[in-house]
Amino acid sequence: MPRAGFQRVLTELGASTADEFAKCQALAEMAMMNQGVTFSVYADNRGTEKVFPFDLVPRIVAARDWVALERGLAQRVVALGHFLDDVYGPQKILRDGIIPRELVLGAQQYLPLIHGVKPAGGVRVHISGIDLIRDPEGAFRVLEDNVRTPSGVSYVMENRLATKRIFPRLFEQASVHRVDHYPSQLGETLRSVSPRDPDQSTVVVLTPGSYNSAYFEHSFLARQMGIELVEAPDLFVDDDRVFMRTTRGPKQVDVIYRRTDEAFLDPEVFRPDSMLGVPGLMRAWAKGTVTLANAPGNGVADDKAIYPFVPDMITYYLGETPLLGQVPTYVCLRDSDRDYVLDHLSELVVKAVDESGGNGMLMGPQASKAQIEEFRQRIIADPRKYIAQPRIELSTCPTWDGENRCMEPRRVDLRPYVLTSRDGPWVLPGGLTRVALVHGSYVVNSSQGGGSKDTWVQKEVA
Amino acid sequence: MISRVAENCFWFGRYLERTEATARLMYVTRNLSMDAELEPRQCWLPVVIVCGEEPRFTARFGADLPNEKIGEFVEAYMSFDTDNDSSIISSVAAARENARSIREVISLEVWEAVNEMYLWLGSDLAKSEYRNARHSFYKRLRQGCQLISGLLRSTMLHELPLNFIWLGMLLERGSQTARVVDVHHHALMLRERTHQVIEAALWLSLLRVCSAYEPFTKRNRGRVTGDAVAQFLISEPLFPKSIAYCVHEAWCRFLVIRPADQPDLPGEQTQVRLHALDRWVSDHAAQGAAGDIHHLLTHVVDEIAVICAGLGRELFGATTSQAMESAQ
Repeated sequence: MPRAGFQRVLTELGASTADEFAKCQALAEMAMMNQGVTFSVYADNRGTEKVFPFDLVPRIVAARDWVALERGLAQRVVALGHFLDDVYGPQKILRDGIIPRELVLGAQQYLPLIHGVKPAGGVRVHISGIDLIRDPEGAFRVLEDNVRTPSGVSYVMENRLATKRIFPRLFEQASVHRVDHYPSQLGETLRSVSPRDPDQSTVVVLTPGSYNSAYFEHSFLARQMGIELVEAPDLFVDDDRVFMRTTRGPKQVDVIYRRTDEAFLDPEVFRPDSMLGVPGLMRAWAKGTVTLANAPGNGVADDKAIYPFVPDMITYYLGETPLLGQVPTYVCLRDSDRDYVLDHLSELVVKAVDESGGNGMLMGPQASKAQIEEFRQRIIADPRKYIAQPRIELSTCPTWDGENRCMEPRRVDLRPYVLTSRDGPWVLPGGLTRVALVHGSYVVNSSQGGGSKDTWVQKEVA
Repeated sequence: MISRVAENCFWFGRYLERTEATARLMYVTRNLSMDAELEPRQCWLPVVIVCGEEPRFTARFGADLPNEKIGEFVEAYMSFDTDNDSSIISSVAAARENARSIREVISLEVWEAVNEMYLWLGSDLAKSEYRNARHSFYKRLRQGCQLISGLLRSTMLHELPLNFIWLGMLLERGSQTARVVDVHHHALMLRERTHQVIEAALWLSLLRVCSAYEPFTKRNRGRVTGDAVAQFLISEPLFPKSIAYCVHEAWCRFLVIRPADQPDLPGEQTQVRLHALDRWVSDHAAQGAAGDIHHLLTHVVDEIAVICAGLGRELFGATTSQAMESAQ
C-alpha cells in the first residue's frame, strides 16, 4: 500500500506507458554519462567509470515524518560531537561507566595521540551522513553513523536535476523542499570554523585525486562552492601553518574539507612508510592554525561497536530522550552477547566494526554452512571486531525494472546529511535514497548492485 | 592558482589544439592525395614527420609500405591507434583526462563538450563514421574542438585558468605551424623543378592545413608562391594561426599570468625567454626577408620547447610525465 499523499504522484507516473518510461530512464542515464556524473571502479583498469545506477521514480517522505526525523538527526549528531570532545578530553563517560572503557580505547579508529587537542572552531563532526532504514511499523531507525568522510551528497543534487528535467509538472505539484543550497551551506559551515576571519579565509577541498572512486563528488563540491580542489602534493606545512603551492607562490590555507582517509593525511603521524599525505599537517591542526573537516579521530564515534551506546550518550550528555530508534545490536566483546550470537548465527547479520560498503558482512539467513563456520572462527578469534544484528526488513519503494519493463517494489534505505557549523547542526531536507535494484536483494551499496533515487521531502502545508 | 591545476589547464589547452590540428591535417592530406598527379607517399609521409612519429611509424610498418596502402596506414595510426601518443584518440583522451582533473575550474558546458567528444570517439558510431564517411569524421572532431574553444571563451571567467589554457593552445599551435611549414617547405625545396600546377596544389594544401587559404588570398593577390605562403604563415600578425600571432598572444597571456610590475612572482626566466622569442619573430616579420626559413622555423620549435620546460620548472613545479614530455 502506498503511503497516504503519494497517490497523486503514483497516478501521474502510472499514466505513462512502459515505453515512455523506458525512454525517460534512458535519457536520464545518457545525460549523466555525458556530464561525467560517474564513479570510478576500483580494482579495474585505470580510468573505468560508471554511472551510479539511478532510478527515476522518486522516493517521497511526508512533511510530518521529516520534521520528526530532522530533530532526531540533529540531536544525534550533537551527542556524537560531545562524545568525541569527551573521549579526546576528560573521558567522563568512561569514568562514569556508561560505555565500557576497553570498547572505546580499543577501537581501531581511536587516536590516542590527539588526546587533549581542541580543534580550531570547536567542531569535530562538520559533515555527517546518518544511514536510516524504515521498519515495518513505518518508523525510521538509525542503521549506521558516518562521521568520517561520508559521500554521496553530489548524487542527491544530480538526481534532483534529473527528476526535475524529466518530470517538471509532477515535481511542481508535489511541493518538495529544495536541496541545491547544500553547497552554499557547506561553504558557510566550513568558513564558520576557520581559525581566522571567515570572510578572509581560504577553504579548500582535499581529494586523493582523479582516480578516486568519489572524485566526481570532490570536484563537484569544490566547483559548487567556488573553492580550490587540492591534492596532498599541492599542500605543504611551514612553521606549523599550511600553505598551497600556487602559480604566484605559497598561499596560506585555513580550512581543509578533507575527503582523504585519515591514514593518508600526514605521513609523519600515520604511515611513516607512505609518501602520501602532507607532512606536518597534524602538527598544524593540533596547534590550531588550520581546521580539518571532519576532525581526525572521529572514527571512534561511528565504530559499529560504539553504535549501540549512542542512545545512552544522548541521555548522558543532553539529558534528553533519544528521538530516533535504532537496530538492536549484540556487541561480541560482551560475553553474554557473544554466546547468543554464536548460537544464532544463521538468523543474524554479522558486521565487522571497521568495514563499510557492505564488506566484511555475514548475512546469516542467506549464508552457507561454510560461511557461517568461517565467521564463527573469526568472532572467536577477535570478538572486538564484530557486532551482530537481527535482519531488519527494509521498506520498499516502487522502482523501474528495466528488464521486465514494469514497476516493482525494491528495498531502500536513506542517508540524510547533517552539517554542523559553529552555531550548531543543520539537516539537508532530502538525502540519498539507496535502492537494492536486484530483485530480492537487501544490499543497497553501489559496489554491489545498488542504485539511488531522488528523495522528495514534502513541505509542510502552511 | 594551484600550480598543479595550472599545469593541467595548460596541457588541456595543448591537447585540445593538437586534436584539432591533427584532424585538420588528416582531412586536408586526404583531399590532396586524391589528386592524381601526386604520389601518395609524397602526401602522407610528411604527416608522420610533422607529428614527430616517423621513426616509430617506420619501425612498426616498415619503410616500404606500398603506395596504395600508405594512406590507410597513416590514417589509422594517427586516428585510432592508442599506442601512438600523437594519435587523435590519445590526444582526446589526454585532453579529457586533464579536463577531468580540473573539472572544478572549467565550466560545465566545456566539460560536457569535452566528455561528449571523448565518449563519441570511443563509440561504434565514430568507428562506423570513420569507415563510411571519413571526411565527416574529421570534420566532427574539428567542430568538437571549435565548440570547446568557443565555450571556453564564452562561459568562463577570463582569469588565470583560462589564460593557462590559452597559453597552452597558443604555444602548441605556434609549434604546429612551424613544424608543418618546415616539413612542406623542406620537401618542396628538395624537388628542383616541380611542375608549377603541382607545386601550387601543395602550397594551397599547406594553407588549408592551417585554415589559412581565405585569409591568405585576402592578403596576397596573384600567384601562390612558396615564399609568399611561408611568409604569411610565419609573419602575418593578424592571422590567428601564424607564428607571429601565436607567439605574441602567448606573450600577452603570460603577462596576465605574471604581470611585468610584479618581479617577485615565479616565472622570470620563462618571461625573459618568451619576450625574446616574440621580439625575434616580429623583427623577422618587419624585415620581411625570406632568409633561411628552415633555420627560423627550427629556432621557433626549439624555443617553444624550452619555454614549455621553463613553465614546468618555474610555475608548475612538478615532475609529472607531462612535464617530461615537454622537456623532450
